[in-house]
Amino acid sequence: MQSAERQTVYRWGLVWSGALVAFGGAVLLGVAVSRSNAWAEVSQALGLSVMGWASLLQSLNALALVPAELSLKQPLPLSGTQYLVAGALAWLGGWGLLAAGLRRAPAPTEGPSPAAGAPLYPRLAGYRDFYWSTLGAYGGGILLAEWALIQLQSLLSSGAQSVAQGEASGGSGLQLAPPWAFAVSLLVACSISFVAGAIGAARARRLSLPEATIGVFYLGLPIPIMLTLLDRVPALQLALGYRLREVTYVAGLLGRPELGYWLVFGLLVLMLVLGINSGFVAAGSGRLDLRLGFELFVARRHVAVFRPSLLLGTLAVLMLGIIPPLIIYGIVRAVEAAVERTRIRELGLVDPLAAAASLNRLKLREQSPTMMMTALSVGGVGVGVMALIIVLSVMSGFELDLQKKILGTHAHAVVSKYAGDLPEYPKLMEQIAKVPGVVGQSPFITNQVMIVSEGNVDGVVIKGIDPDTVGSVTDLPGYMLPGGSLEYLKKPELLTPRRGPGGAGSPMLDDRPAGAAPPAGGQPEEAEEEIDPIIGSMTKPAQEQVLPGIIVGRELAAAMRVVVGDKVNIVSPLGTELGPSGPMPKSRAFRVVGVFYSGMYEYDAKFVYIFLDEAQKFFEVKGANGIDLKVADIDDARRIAADVTRQLGGYPYRSRDWSETNRNLFSALRLEKLVMGIILSIIIIVAAGLIVATVIMLVLEKRKEISVLKALGVPDGGIVKIFLAEGLQIGVAGGLLGLLSGLAWCLFIEKVGIKLDPEVYYIPALPVRIEPVQTLLAVVIAVLVTYLASIYPALKASSVEPVEGLKAE
Amino acid sequence: MAFLSIRNVFKSYFLHGKRIDVLRGVSLDLERGELVSLIGPSGAGKSTFLHVLGTLDAPAAGEVLFEGRSVFSMNDAQIAEFRNRTIGFVFQSHYLLPEFTALENVAMPALIQRGDRAKTYAQARELLERVGLGARVDHRPGELSGGEAQRVALARALVLKPAILLADEPTGNLDPATGEGIHQLLRDVNRDLGITAVVVTHNETLAQSMPRRLRLAGGQVTDA
Repeated sequence: MQSAERQTVYRWGLVWSGALVAFGGAVLLGVAVSRSNAWAEVSQALGLSVMGWASLLQSLNALALVPAELSLKQPLPLSGTQYLVAGALAWLGGWGLLAAGLRRAPAPTEGPSPAAGAPLYPRLAGYRDFYWSTLGAYGGGILLAEWALIQLQSLLSSGAQSVAQGEASGGSGLQLAPPWAFAVSLLVACSISFVAGAIGAARARRLSLPEATIGVFYLGLPIPIMLTLLDRVPALQLALGYRLREVTYVAGLLGRPELGYWLVFGLLVLMLVLGINSGFVAAGSGRLDLRLGFELFVARRHVAVFRPSLLLGTLAVLMLGIIPPLIIYGIVRAVEAAVERTRIRELGLVDPLAAAASLNRLKLREQSPTMMMTALSVGGVGVGVMALIIVLSVMSGFELDLQKKILGTHAHAVVSKYAGDLPEYPKLMEQIAKVPGVVGQSPFITNQVMIVSEGNVDGVVIKGIDPDTVGSVTDLPGYMLPGGSLEYLKKPELLTPRRGPGGAGSPMLDDRPAGAAPPAGGQPEEAEEEIDPIIGSMTKPAQEQVLPGIIVGRELAAAMRVVVGDKVNIVSPLGTELGPSGPMPKSRAFRVVGVFYSGMYEYDAKFVYIFLDEAQKFFEVKGANGIDLKVADIDDARRIAADVTRQLGGYPYRSRDWSETNRNLFSALRLEKLVMGIILSIIIIVAAGLIVATVIMLVLEKRKEISVLKALGVPDGGIVKIFLAEGLQIGVAGGLLGLLSGLAWCLFIEKVGIKLDPEVYYIPALPVRIEPVQTLLAVVIAVLVTYLASIYPALKASSVEPVEGLKAE
Repeated sequence: MAFLSIRNVFKSYFLHGKRIDVLRGVSLDLERGELVSLIGPSGAGKSTFLHVLGTLDAPAAGEVLFEGRSVFSMNDAQIAEFRNRTIGFVFQSHYLLPEFTALENVAMPALIQRGDRAKTYAQARELLERVGLGARVDHRPGELSGGEAQRVALARALVLKPAILLADEPTGNLDPATGEGIHQLLRDVNRDLGITAVVVTHNETLAQSMPRRLRLAGGQVTDA
């Protein structure tokens, strides 16, 4: 006598052919995409992504698309649209066919069971397989979150953007700096995603993972895919690039926009999952109950994480490594055991029963394996958080160091014209001074030239500066090494010309003329005369002539073998005189009047400074090339630059801030930090695996207790909350320990310092900068990950049937 | 309308793919304040019957009506609350939570309700004194003897003054003298608190001492 249950029957022929047709459709779709040559680029773009899509796409490509394309001897006269339609149809039809292969078994022919006709167990009658409303909530939620993110990002930062574009705009939009606008919109999008997940789960009263998968894949995925394709498909770029420019700008800050899109998408999905879980826990059993007191009370007894011994021990391991605390622990335990043994033996001599009781107490203190697992999990999370904090802080230190050095030599913002010089710069400077936030300005002329000293040639960037105002924009005056001065740029005659060959630091220079003219000892003027042909005709000895001053970097000075007082020639290929073979390079002699040291190799080796008036004459520039600005708040430089442009009336003037002029460097740094963060987060994920194992062990250990709690009237949601709280306790304890030890290590690096080889790194010690937001983020991420990790075991715990645990005896 | 009635309840187990029908259309009415014993051969499904009665296990078909209301048509949270407020369980072994003291164990059902802690503990202490364990309040279950633990379990079942007490061989693991103490306590609470009690037992003399005797055999419950 069989039950009336009807099982699912698979018709494998239909299932397989359906799958095949759907796969063919996918291939066709792929070919359609590859017509626009985007397919290869997508897989290439994802090639370095950490999400593992790349291998899937590439193997799909290799398996299906390459043969498919090869089989087409010549491109069919069809455009991509036909492939698209055919592919989509085959894709849908394939799924339909596959679904047709899944059929209910026919009703059994045997007679009904004795229970036939009895009222059906009501909860079974109310059971449904699929919730369309939940699918709507999940898919719609994530789509809405993406849409809101894009719209808000555009809205919040559009003001600044349109001004930067030089458009007429009376300050519409909220004009937040793009990163802030992004943060705000991301927060909103995350909450939307979270709420959507909670609503969907609350409606279905279960997790509804099929609905979540379908929602995310069919409604959520297209947008990040589209954004990834945006750069590569011209049609998309034309249609949407304008609308999405704020979004692409923010993602572009990372250096790899795709990474940004997918990380944000991942974050939204994560928030959806969190929302689903919270919704299930809160309302899964039919009632919203957010109180936690009782659950925490039970959870704290189950995993006693917040014990001083465990916390101190883990902290010691985090701070000192595993071995030293282990040795100390071993010694302490050995001593303790010896003392206890003597005590119990002596007690036994007096009162055997008391000794037995004492022995029993000693035994009770021994830890269970779950306790050990708990400690390990706490330690794992702690190590992850600590590593994240230390590495990110050191990288922030490097970034700050770099930023300080770049901003020391470069202006915060630069005002220039789209084309041409700025002869009207004094008038402009008056206008710029009115813009709030601008604290200094200095005009400049810049160009690329060759610098020639005796026997050495190098290509450098030359900058004509105004010595009076340059100090208000860069730290150049502070970088000057003793012996030279910015003042000499303006008044080179103040520098007493170097007499005699005995000048410091250039023995090579002195040797050569001595070798070339052996009998002429003590006649340095003659030696100088010998080099004169390089420059051209010279009537006066070079050493006595008052030459315009030039300031070079320390590295350049070393490479060119010049010191203050030496003469160098600047050669510009942009000559105006015509020679027999075209324009003649222009050359002019300068005297080194100062050496600067910024600490940044690139600048110390590649930058030279001359007086603005000399530059005007040399390059035949009227006025200046541009005006360097210093702003009060460097993080606000972009907006202030936009304000300056507006003050000047927009086109033909434009201003760029430091993050724009050094964009590749900082975006590379940011990308590096991000990738580092992702890699280190993997440690936390490993620790999360440990938490999953720990909580599963706890669940197995506590099956009986779970049954009893259920029998006493704890609802399923309560059980979930108890075990979530247990996982969270581990996460919070680990996060806090990691935070403590990470901060302690950072402090150690900052105060005591870890020496670096200055020859290699150009900085004496490892820089550290603790950024509160990023540090907090590391802890929050760890806690979130542990929360996620404990979801599965907690659900497992709640699904323990009350009778199951009560029977097992 | 009966206080607690069971209507046409079916319940089966599956052992190696074979269905074993334990309850085959059980119907039964219990009145308020009744003291009932349930006897039957081993494996007849006495515990299953008690579990279904106590909403711990869902029947395949049939209804359990409490004061005319079908308990299984409620949602999870309502069933849990019903179990918490209306039903007290005592099992063959005590099933106390090992991490908590006797006092906390007794207070647990009230703590689940998130009642006032101080009041709850005072009530629990009173109950423990009543079952004769006033001195064992702060002991963990591991430090109690079998009889003591069972008395704590009984106190836990009674702390919220439930309308129904379901006892599944409460004295099965105890020696006759201790068992008799527990029986006396059961009879006392039934008389003093007016609690409807169903006691599954193998002990014929205990069964005989109850006002109403039920027998479960062949998937049917009959008055013995």
